[in-house]
Amino acid sequence: MAMLLARKNLHALLRGAMEKKYRVVGPTRTAGIVLFAELSDPGALCLDELNTQNSIKEFFFPKSETLLTYTLGKKDVAIADDFAPPRTVLIGGRACDARSLVALDRLFGWDYKDKFYFKRREATCVITLACDRFDEACFCTSLGFGPRATEGSDILLVPAEGDAYIVEAVTDKGRALIAELEDVFTEGTPGAEKVAYPEKKFDLAAVKPWLERNFDHPIWKEEFLSCLGCGTCTYQCPMCHCFDIVDEGDIHGGARCKNWDSCQFALFTLHTSGHNPRPAQASRWRQRLRHKFVYYADKFGTEACVGCGRCIRNCPVRLSILDKLVLIGREAAAAPAPPAGAQPRGVTKRWRATTSIFRI
Amino acid sequence: MIEQLRQRARELLGEGKVALVIGHGRGSSPQATFPVFITKADAVDRLVFNPFCRNNLAVYLTRKDIMPKGAVGLVARPEEVRSVAVLVQEQQFDADRVVLIGVACAEPGKEGAACEMLKGRTLKELEAEVAERLKGRDPAQDVAARVKELEAMTPEQRLAFWEKEFSRCIRCYACRQACPMCYCERCIVEKNQPQWIPSSARPLGNYFWNVIRAFHLAGRCIGCGACARACPMGIPLDLLNAKVAREVKESFAYEAGFDHEVPPPMASFRTDDEQEFIK
Repeated sequence: MAMLLARKNLHALLRGAMEKKYRVVGPTRTAGIVLFAELSDPGALCLDELNTQNSIKEFFFPKSETLLTYTLGKKDVAIADDFAPPRTVLIGGRACDARSLVALDRLFGWDYKDKFYFKRREATCVITLACDRFDEACFCTSLGFGPRATEGSDILLVPAEGDAYIVEAVTDKGRALIAELEDVFTEGTPGAEKVAYPEKKFDLAAVKPWLERNFDHPIWKEEFLSCLGCGTCTYQCPMCHCFDIVDEGDIHGGARCKNWDSCQFALFTLHTSGHNPRPAQASRWRQRLRHKFVYYADKFGTEACVGCGRCIRNCPVRLSILDKLVLIGREAAAAPAPPAGAQPRGVTKRWRATTSIFRI
Repeated sequence: MIEQLRQRARELLGEGKVALVIGHGRGSSPQATFPVFITKADAVDRLVFNPFCRNNLAVYLTRKDIMPKGAVGLVARPEEVRSVAVLVQEQQFDADRVVLIGVACAEPGKEGAACEMLKGRTLKELEAEVAERLKGRDPAQDVAARVKELEAMTPEQRLAFWEKEFSRCIRCYACRQACPMCYCERCIVEKNQPQWIPSSARPLGNYFWNVIRAFHLAGRCIGCGACARACPMGIPLDLLNAKVAREVKESFAYEAGFDHEVPPPMASFRTDDEQEFIK
């Protein structure tokens, strides 16, 4: 016996949550694309697409967060920084999306505990949908988890034979929501799970050591030329978390805003002096890869990538992080790490033969 | 056709006439081609061309970190020919720095549509050939129809339409980065002394940003649609730019990218202009 949710009861689940005054967020079709957004009614839920354009980070770390508002008086400044996010049910994310929350918890709670992020986390119940399909941009299995992983979810819905989801309550928050909306769930014998696993595409264990050894590898000059330098990959990424704080307002008052920022912008590292330590797009890509697979892993014990594939599907020039990770995996296999004390370079013959006209 | 394309690239690289050929490379499917940068004559087989090659490659011609000091070969669809015409007209580089390998597709985006080499070799010849090809047909027919729909709206409806569209903007600047005409070393949106345009992805800043970019493209946009295709949030930026291009055409009888030798309308004036304010 297991707890089941009939597919036809999905709308009833959302309606129940709305009646209990939850804000319900899920994938919905807007102007031809499917986005995570607040649902006005259960019928707006759209599960046609494997993955949404935007990631769920929007609902924990919004593109522009008001940290405080201020009003300038004659002698003093009045500041308001109350923050109470709405109780939210977030449905329709994937295992990769949910995993990103666990990894982001470590960052936003590492030394300073980001109250905006954690208040939103506490107020949100995450109902994840295991994947019954994948596409060529998916690579969760290469990162050591899979499409029905429970990490980061409060409730996991696993599609099964018999037009139903098998319901796994993962956390107390999930169990509480199920208890609140118990009418829509049934007990029964589950059908076979319909979960689709993408093939493993590269050896994750080889990526970090290779990146650590090859800061000057010719790969950086040759493989990233087409990058246009927009922020699409980082902004649609569930894990990218850089931000910029600005004050916006007029002489009477305004707001202090925490806005997404991107390491792919030339301005990101431009010094006041005019010097830019990352002068070329290739050096910004190298940073993106090293941050995700070296620095973040060193500091937080996990990669800052969950293999959701959004950066690949959305890139205007189809520059694929997965292709580059596969390439790095191949390079690492061709030039394994030298023993301690040996020359710390792993440049294969094929690359050495390349004379580059490009700068980095 | 593809053999002719590769042969020209091979000749240009082999004879040392260019240091680099920028073209479209084979992806995992015909729909998934992507820009490639070829520096060796024996690597020209990486080049492909089909109706799904939609990236405007002229965007790379002003990128300092990838452009060699020598000449560049560019696989140029009518969109690239017109973009290069504007860039030369705006003196971003000399016409002889770019060797155009003219290509065209009868129906871009349509599977199986015929592709062919263009005959012209010089920018001047290709401008004329592209103008001839585009004569009598609107290359962005559906864009024109949608612009008419917008024009038929009341100002309030139109404002509501754009507010809704711009509300999705995440300020990733993919529109700008994909556009060959957005070559400013420091974009106005990145100027912060003073901060002309709010950088937050909120209604005011989003409105400012998208409208100002459209203004800056007046008389310069050639309608390739790269901005709209690059937008990860599905904002129909091509409509905005097409509307401005139409205004320019009606006011100045000018369309961008057909003649690099005429002065651009937004950067020139006449003492006999019939409007007083401009003199």
